[in-house]
Amino acid sequence: MFQFLFKYPIAMFSRGEFVLLGSWPKWILLCLVAACAAGLAFLIHSRLKQAAPRVNIWRAGVIWLLQFAMAGLLLVLLWRPAIVIAELKPQQNIIAILLDDSRSMGITENGATREAQAVKALQNGVLAALNKNFQTRLYRLDSHLTQIPDLQEVREASAPATRIGDGLKQLATETSGLPIGAIVLLSDGADNSGGIDLDTISALRSRRIPVHAVGLGLERIPNDTEINDVVVAPRALADSRLSATITFHQAGYAGRKATLTARDGEKTLATREITLAGDGSIQTEGLLFNAGEAGAKALQFSIDPLPGEDNRANNSVTRLVNVESDKRRILYVEGEPRWEYKFIRRAEDDDRIVQVVSMLRTTENKIYRQGISDPKELADGFPTRAEDLFGYQAIIIGSVEAGYFTPAQQDLLRDFVDRRGGGLLFLGGRSALGDGVWGGSSVSDLLPVALPNKKDTFHRAPATAELTPAGADSTICRLVDDPDRNVERWKKLPYLMDYQETGTPKPGAAVLAEMKAGGHTMPLLITENYGRGRTAVLATGGTWRWQMSQPLGDTTHDMFWRQLLRWLVADTRGEIVASVPSQTLFDDGHVQLSAEVRDRGYQPAADAQVEAHVVGPSGISAMVEMSPVPETPGSYQAEWTAEKPGSYVAEVTAAQGGQEMGRDVVTFQRMDGVAENFHAEQNRELLERLASQTGGRYYRPEELSKLSEEIPFSEAGITVRETKELWNMPAVFILILLLRMSEWLLRRKWGIV
Amino acid sequence: MRIPPRVSVVFFLVCLTSVLIVLRVNGAQWFGGGGPEYYSGNNSEKAEFYWSRLRYTPRVGQGGGYGYGYGYGASWSRDYPKADRQFLMALRRLTRIQARSTEQVVDLDSDEIYDYPWVYAVQVESWSFTDAEAKRLRDYLLKGGFLMVDDFHGTADWQNFMEGMRMVLPNRPIEDLNDNDEIFHVLYDLGERFQVPGEQYVATGRTYEKDGYVPKWRAIRDDKGRVMVAICHNMHLGDAWEWADTAEYPEKFASLAFRVGLNYIMYGMTH
Repeated sequence: MFQFLFKYPIAMFSRGEFVLLGSWPKWILLCLVAACAAGLAFLIHSRLKQAAPRVNIWRAGVIWLLQFAMAGLLLVLLWRPAIVIAELKPQQNIIAILLDDSRSMGITENGATREAQAVKALQNGVLAALNKNFQTRLYRLDSHLTQIPDLQEVREASAPATRIGDGLKQLATETSGLPIGAIVLLSDGADNSGGIDLDTISALRSRRIPVHAVGLGLERIPNDTEINDVVVAPRALADSRLSATITFHQAGYAGRKATLTARDGEKTLATREITLAGDGSIQTEGLLFNAGEAGAKALQFSIDPLPGEDNRANNSVTRLVNVESDKRRILYVEGEPRWEYKFIRRAEDDDRIVQVVSMLRTTENKIYRQGISDPKELADGFPTRAEDLFGYQAIIIGSVEAGYFTPAQQDLLRDFVDRRGGGLLFLGGRSALGDGVWGGSSVSDLLPVALPNKKDTFHRAPATAELTPAGADSTICRLVDDPDRNVERWKKLPYLMDYQETGTPKPGAAVLAEMKAGGHTMPLLITENYGRGRTAVLATGGTWRWQMSQPLGDTTHDMFWRQLLRWLVADTRGEIVASVPSQTLFDDGHVQLSAEVRDRGYQPAADAQVEAHVVGPSGISAMVEMSPVPETPGSYQAEWTAEKPGSYVAEVTAAQGGQEMGRDVVTFQRMDGVAENFHAEQNRELLERLASQTGGRYYRPEELSKLSEEIPFSEAGITVRETKELWNMPAVFILILLLRMSEWLLRRKWGIV
Repeated sequence: MRIPPRVSVVFFLVCLTSVLIVLRVNGAQWFGGGGPEYYSGNNSEKAEFYWSRLRYTPRVGQGGGYGYGYGYGASWSRDYPKADRQFLMALRRLTRIQARSTEQVVDLDSDEIYDYPWVYAVQVESWSFTDAEAKRLRDYLLKGGFLMVDDFHGTADWQNFMEGMRMVLPNRPIEDLNDNDEIFHVLYDLGERFQVPGEQYVATGRTYEKDGYVPKWRAIRDDKGRVMVAICHNMHLGDAWEWADTAEYPEKFASLAFRVGLNYIMYGMTH
């Protein structure tokens, strides 16, 4: 219809350039149009009195408008309007047709697979129409691009992965000397590489090759649940509580109950019943579980399949967690004997991982040390050298005034958090926080609160604790697995023996728990990330009452302290930190190993010898030398390819002058054919974006017949610039007729013919 | 109406006795004013550490001390409050523990005892518990409380003490503390100790009472090996604290008694 009225396809108007071919200057056209408008207005206005009362002002206006439109249109036509557009030269260009044959194209919808629908669409005249004016080349697209002679060579869609970006890039490279006029991509848009990178888009745009994307597959699959992502810490301490954030969506099961499960092999770690949200909406739920014994673990997170669900493979994902069992040492500095000290130490007694090393000022001149590894440890008091202090993973400052530490020691505390990446916890107490003049110290920046500028902030009076929403989500404060019951559990805790005013939390700090005392609500537990480490304030010295005032056997106090102290040390890394960009490699084994290497003072080590020993499935073992990253001292990288699917462990070792500096372990896994089960619905957004970024268009399969008409308008390949005159479009004549008829009919109606 | 003189006298004596008892039990403020320093104190003072003296019900006929029953003057209050306050002076002066200058009397009738994780009991040969009291003391100890017992002597006292102790901790072994035990080194090194006699030493020169010739430094431990009940048998540390300010009582006994007490408190606050 459009082409009947306007003579040319819509693509020509959207891509072409509008011009006026008339030789007379355009300003004359503008002047004449303005003169017409003014002349017609004057003429109509001058006759208005004679025509009254049949013609009032607004009827006169309508007549003026119709006459002006008519005159204006005729004037424009006199200047010969036209569209100038680049058009592919017939028979001299190649149209590349890419057919996705990955596994998701094998999904059956409306009685045929997506791939079969694509083949059928091409066979129903589209390919023949293209072949009239162009050479066509057929390609099969999955993890790479393969040219095929004809549609008979299309195999059953079973390739484990789709990499649209890589395929397009390969095409652009392989056809760099060929006149590719356009690319037709028939796909469901299920790309496993995370999208199409800018390099690919740039390569296509530099050659002005439009990609016409034909979207196949349903845009929303009925009766399906799919996990979008699972976020879980890649490293954990043995026996610690871990939190997984599971993001998923569903269609067809809104309001139904479903079960989230975390498994380690055959062992179920945790389950949780949830209510599914509305169709298509993204839902996020948490799942708590125990990390268990040390080792590299492949944990599976799943939503149990619901009745009528066809694609069940997208109900679970795997995440690698490296559970570590090396000892973490916390230095606890306490300025006076007090019950909190005793009960914190007792809480950590059973912890196989976290060891509290404490120095307690029992008298003015005596320090009582506990948990030391040798008699010399802390014999001279708080460490004065970085290499001594940095041997700990976290520090607790109890009821100790800032003045107890020398300025150099205060600087060390700052470096401990900022540079070494350690955890620092401040407790409330009569010589702590504001009353210990920490606000005026050089360490005040580290605190997650702006301490009040006054003394007497510590009060020996009862205070009750309550969780904030942030605390309800935190594993530190999780005393009961069920989040709602946990909030209620906190409300029922015995009161704290004392409390301290902390001042205002700083921007970026998270208040996990508050306390109510004397009619006021104040922050109780505040945490913040600082530099490479983390800091926290627990504004009381009276949690010990949770231990003494609850029934014998209640584990609240010990559990809270273990979780708080594990949070404090869990992310404190050693001198060597190994990493990979993603722990899961889908269908492609290429991996970039990175390592950050620091010396004992945690300064970047630029001259280290770093190598990774990678061990994988089927006896794979490789030594990979890692090279320094230019302009980033202490950073080392190496490229490596995991040839086989399975789990890999890379142990990175650094040495300096022949002496080992340390080592770290990172795990990753290659999974083939898994990603294709996800995002099985058509990714229309990706296809539309690809088309619009390259100057192409998105088509639904039923619109494919238009392709052959619109595809010639391309600036790629061998083109010719065509000028398409517009004056003889049927739409113009129809418009002229309509304008005249409208005026005549109105005049008849108003009796002014 | 004329009140008979005999009734007036009885009424006056009853009133006077009531006032004295109330004053005594609630802080002995009446000892203040011109009295010795150790009798003055502020019971409303809030502190980290409260010297807590266990008030228990003596067994019938076992009042001990210089009184009978549950109130002031019963066996639980031997040397009270002078010993407590003189000890607290030393504690406040020699350590960084923020302690109230006056003692706190606690009992096993309510859960209030859980707010005082260190408790001192004397003349424990006469203590007795109901089942509920024994359970509360057992829970208190197993949750992290610390009990120090003192001033009981000889075989008979030990047997009577154990009668009560077995109600609290039926199956826990009692062991003699080694000189190297941490409790003797947490603050002062007390590897060498001797019998600390009561005030009777001044008059008799005897360091023992009854048949308690040898001092027994004993303890009951929890599952982790931490001392939760420190037993000072055949000695009288409380008297040493109480009479430390008298010229007749030897300094060496008082000195050791203070150090032992300080070590036991420091241990109780660190283990």
